[in-house]
Amino acid sequence: MADNRGHLLPVYVLADESYSMAPYAEELNSGMVSLHEALRSEPMVAAKVRLSVLGFSNDVSVRMALADLRSEEALPLLRIGGVTNYQAAFKDLLTRIPQDIATLKRDGYMVHRPAVFFLSDGQPNNSKWRKPHGRLTDKSVTPAAPNIIACGVGEVEAGTILQVATRQDFAFVSVAGADIGTSIAKFFIALTSSVVQSGRSLTSPHPELVVEKPEGFTMAIDVV
Amino acid sequence: MTMRGMLPFGNSRRLDDNQPSSRGRHANPDAGFPPGEAAPNPAPVGAPPSAAVGDRWAPIVVDEPIFDFEPKPPTSRSYRPDTVFDGWSTGDFTVRMASVRGYSHRYSGTPRQDAAEIAFHPETGAVIFAVADGVSSARESHLGAARACEMAVIVLRHQLSSPHGRADFTEMVQVAAAGMVRQAAHILRQKRPDPAAVEARFGTTLVAGYIFPEAGGAAASMIQIGDSSAWVLRGGRYLPVLDQKLDPHAEVISSGVSPLPRIPASVSPINLSLAPGEVLLIGTDGFGDPLGDGDGKVGQLFAGHLTTPPSGRALAHLLDFSRETFDDDRTLVAVWQQRRETGERA
Repeated sequence: MADNRGHLLPVYVLADESYSMAPYAEELNSGMVSLHEALRSEPMVAAKVRLSVLGFSNDVSVRMALADLRSEEALPLLRIGGVTNYQAAFKDLLTRIPQDIATLKRDGYMVHRPAVFFLSDGQPNNSKWRKPHGRLTDKSVTPAAPNIIACGVGEVEAGTILQVATRQDFAFVSVAGADIGTSIAKFFIALTSSVVQSGRSLTSPHPELVVEKPEGFTMAIDVV
Repeated sequence: MTMRGMLPFGNSRRLDDNQPSSRGRHANPDAGFPPGEAAPNPAPVGAPPSAAVGDRWAPIVVDEPIFDFEPKPPTSRSYRPDTVFDGWSTGDFTVRMASVRGYSHRYSGTPRQDAAEIAFHPETGAVIFAVADGVSSARESHLGAARACEMAVIVLRHQLSSPHGRADFTEMVQVAAAGMVRQAAHILRQKRPDPAAVEARFGTTLVAGYIFPEAGGAAASMIQIGDSSAWVLRGGRYLPVLDQKLDPHAEVISSGVSPLPRIPASVSPINLSLAPGEVLLIGTDGFGDPLGDGDGKVGQLFAGHLTTPPSGRALAHLLDFSRETFDDDRTLVAVWQQRRETGERA
């Protein structure tokens, strides 16, 4: 084995950039800014996190890949357009995650199971996403199958979010009637807290993925 | 609400490039260990720590250092110094121990959660050791770790002095766990605290045992609870003698420990023989993780400095190396055999 440079947690923000998110673009991007600021104020945690930001609509746009936030001046802006294509999102991760893990390991890091934070406000445009999602989350197919934390706002159905998340307690939907912009802001607060807490635990005797429920969300299992 | 799921988941000398660092208190890479353990150059009174130009006690940098900062005081109900070290020699062994607070704990104001004890048992010539790593999520695990070490050493010393002269590791673990529960009862002011609650607040790993001289070398026995570990250092190579926390070849990391005071279903000691010249190392994962399989820069650093026993303070300095992403408490006990004629006690 090459030199051992320590433990890393790859984190993927998979954000819906479809047209229906247009009214909330500001909240999406200010959420990214607060995530960036929080991690820069925790440099020891940031050293152990590699952040990728992927926007999905018709296709997947890589806004940032395996970034060390200590050396990033700003996080990229998400751009709105297209339909809600879950299939494109999971197909992308299916190839991206194993490649990323291989890259990090080649660089001498030990890699924790990746965490994907999925945010959508709409139902998928078709059901073809289930196949790549199934392969992505099946450890016999994808040894580095990620933990997927799924958060739904607006029109997305709780049942769909439950299917996206890899554990029932990783599936959250905003409470009925909640302001979507506010919910998106709360999503990013919970995301930031989860990443910081998980990053702190990485070198502990008991590393764990800490998932904070966004304020104003409820567990999807309680809704279906 | 918070859900928790298993994640199957500076100031210094550079090791790699032998160039002086421009960062903060990083020491001159050419300095090596302070010759003759000379006193460090003091910083000007009132100056920030990074102003201590030429600070030969600044941490050794390996690869990329952790950024320079002044530690916060630990919030603890009892005194818990940043660094402890110890060392002495018997007729058969030279022993060094050091335990240093991790950079993340210095940054956050958390006490050092590692603990260690060493003791000599004159009747048998054995050196008794205990190393513990308090579970980071347990708020007062530093107390649990210290108590587990204290009890383990007391029990082993007592057992070795008994007529049969043998260690009973099952009893040792039971007594250590009971000691932790009694301590928790006192702190929590509860007669019989819930074991799960004691584990959640005081939980700790433990490696404890002893090494004694035997014909043609030495023999060691120890138990492992959790992911602290032990190695034999031979010719610059590290041979793990206990279960390792990390499989470097795994696709992603999987890890979990069952800490004291939870008692494992069976307590099976590991017994090993050491040839002359082999060094026994017992350490927490703050040492073991950066060591990895020992082939990397951290392994080289320690192998280079542990060919002969450094002083206790030098071991503490070595253990306090700065390398980004490695910010946990670090503790190491090292035992060298004294040179002697085969089959004879020195």
